[in-house]
Amino acid sequence: MFLALREFKHAKLRFIMIGMILVLISWLVFILSGLGNGLSALSAATFKNMDADYVIFEEGSRHSMLRSVISEDLSKDLKRLEHVNEAAPMGSQTAVVLRENATSEDEKIDVSLLGINPGTFLEPEVIEGEKLVQGNDQEVIVNDVLKNQGIDLGDTLEIEGTDEIIKVVGFVENESFNHLPAIFMTMDAWRKIHFAAPGSDMGVINPVNAIMLQGEDIILEDINQSVEGIETATKQEAINGIPGYTAENGTIMMMLGFLLAISAFVITVFFYVMTLQKTNQFGILKAIGAGNGFLGRAVVSQVFLLAVISIGVGILLTYGTAMILPEGMPFALDPKLVISYAIVLLVVSVLSSLLSVRKITKIDPLQAIGRVE
Amino acid sequence: MKGIQFENVSKYYQEGERKFTALNQVSISVKPGEFAAVIGPSGSGKSTFLSIAGALLQPSEGNVIINGTNLSDLKPRELSKLRLDQIGFVLQTSNLVPYLTVFDQLLVVKKMKGSITKEDKHFAKDLLDEVDLADKLTKYPDQLSGGERQRTAIARALMNNPNIILADEPTASLDTQRAFEIVELMASGLKARNKAAIMVTHDERLLKYCDKVYQIIDGNLTLLDEQIAIR
Ligand SMILES: Nc1ncnc2c1ncn2[C@@H]1O[C@H](COP(=O)(O)OP(=O)(O)OP(=O)(O)O)[C@@H](O)[C@H]1O
Ligand SMILES: [Mg+2]
Repeated sequence: MFLALREFKHAKLRFIMIGMILVLISWLVFILSGLGNGLSALSAATFKNMDADYVIFEEGSRHSMLRSVISEDLSKDLKRLEHVNEAAPMGSQTAVVLRENATSEDEKIDVSLLGINPGTFLEPEVIEGEKLVQGNDQEVIVNDVLKNQGIDLGDTLEIEGTDEIIKVVGFVENESFNHLPAIFMTMDAWRKIHFAAPGSDMGVINPVNAIMLQGEDIILEDINQSVEGIETATKQEAINGIPGYTAENGTIMMMLGFLLAISAFVITVFFYVMTLQKTNQFGILKAIGAGNGFLGRAVVSQVFLLAVISIGVGILLTYGTAMILPEGMPFALDPKLVISYAIVLLVVSVLSSLLSVRKITKIDPLQAIGRVE
Repeated sequence: MKGIQFENVSKYYQEGERKFTALNQVSISVKPGEFAAVIGPSGSGKSTFLSIAGALLQPSEGNVIINGTNLSDLKPRELSKLRLDQIGFVLQTSNLVPYLTVFDQLLVVKKMKGSITKEDKHFAKDLLDEVDLADKLTKYPDQLSGGERQRTAIARALMNNPNIILADEPTASLDTQRAFEIVELMASGLKARNKAAIMVTHDERLLKYCDKVYQIIDGNLTLLDEQIAIR
């Protein structure tokens, strides 16, 4: 620290410049992580929120709700299996809703309609209004972001392309699916919309898209053996099966990976070049008795301090940015995620200084003697 | 035995097939309070000699004993500690750390050993006072004259209170007047503290400050002159 701090003070500009690069990189890392988090919530929040362990799809549907139709009646068989505590069906459908008797000013709203059985673990907690009731097929509970479109409790909505009218009785939080705000309805209401075309249920009795299972240590073999025509996915596999989810996530992860690699290179090169420039100086310090530990610690603590400060500034800038980002942008900063990326950046930075440390250990103090410059 | 002793020290460099002798069976003893000078033409082995004396270079043969410790018994880490505790180097002009103030140049030596105490700070101030730098404590090397830099280096060499002082052409980049001042300062400071000191130099006019003058020619060290040094 002795050398580290004094060198900072003496060569401010140099360190401010490298610090700025680190700030920008960490800023971008946090923004991307916020964006990734926001996007993945938008695309899969409902799946992520649900307290399920496994999801049952139709065989061959490759873990996609869109491609899967199975009978709700399977859930009875599934529940009977060992380790399976609960089973609850779900159906999904993308739709456009608009306020009943809408004037031209009213917006059309894209939503995901999700059919569930009221009272199952798939029904999210209502933060305002009433829960769903079995049999009251007109009543729905909706994501509270629809309030931004002027939707209130008691409003009635038309579903475009159908004769169905639904009535908002409750609001839920952070529920979206397929990048669209979720509207939860009873399974019967959902079936009426989803299988409106005759024969579209392909003869399946009580059709649903998927059945979610609760239970630890479920033995997948048991399920596949006892029930025909299905495939099983873990919750994470089901999330990955949501259209676009893997692609989006993959892209963002790749960008984050590149950024981490870039920051590692920038720091490595910067400090390595600095170390090379100071070879003679380190030689002299070694000649007068400085150990490798003393000099190595100086470099590592420099990188550590620089990284901590830059990442800190990056975090502040990120939260600042979050405040001015337009409403509705899929941006969600998760403090846990921010902290973990901060730690990853810090570790990458400190590891990057090790090449310089290695160089320092190889410097021969002998070169201090016999040189007149 | 205190001070520094060379017992039949040789240094060979392998040059292709041939063995090049940079130091040939050198024996020398410098006791505490003695200021020895080593002169010799370019390429004669002066720097090689000083590097071995400073525990920076292993001799090919013979023993180097510093304050009773035979260097060949020590591991690299112990050698580095020995340099820190026992040896003070006064090197060329460029040997100060550019981003440390005059005061910190001295304190860093203490920092290498651990922490800096209040006494260390007092001691550093006293040393700098002695070399007439009391009003330059917060200056950086690039704000100092050549002579001031060398005086800082002398004070730094004394900071850990070592028993041996080794100077490698300490006046190389100074004009005659400054060179005299610096060597005079070294000579008096070393005497007062009873240090054993060896100075390698090109400049024969400086020898009057030294007790013994050795000459190296082609790796052979001979005592040239023993005198009552001026101080
Ligand atoms: N690493 C080495 N490998 C081979 N030969 C070396 C090496 N270091 C020094 N020498 C040779 O040893 C001899 C003594 O070198 P040294 O540096 O001790 O001379 P010097 O007396 O200090 O000269 P100068 O006054 O020019 O500084 C020289 O001939 C030099 O070429
Ligand atoms: Mg030399």
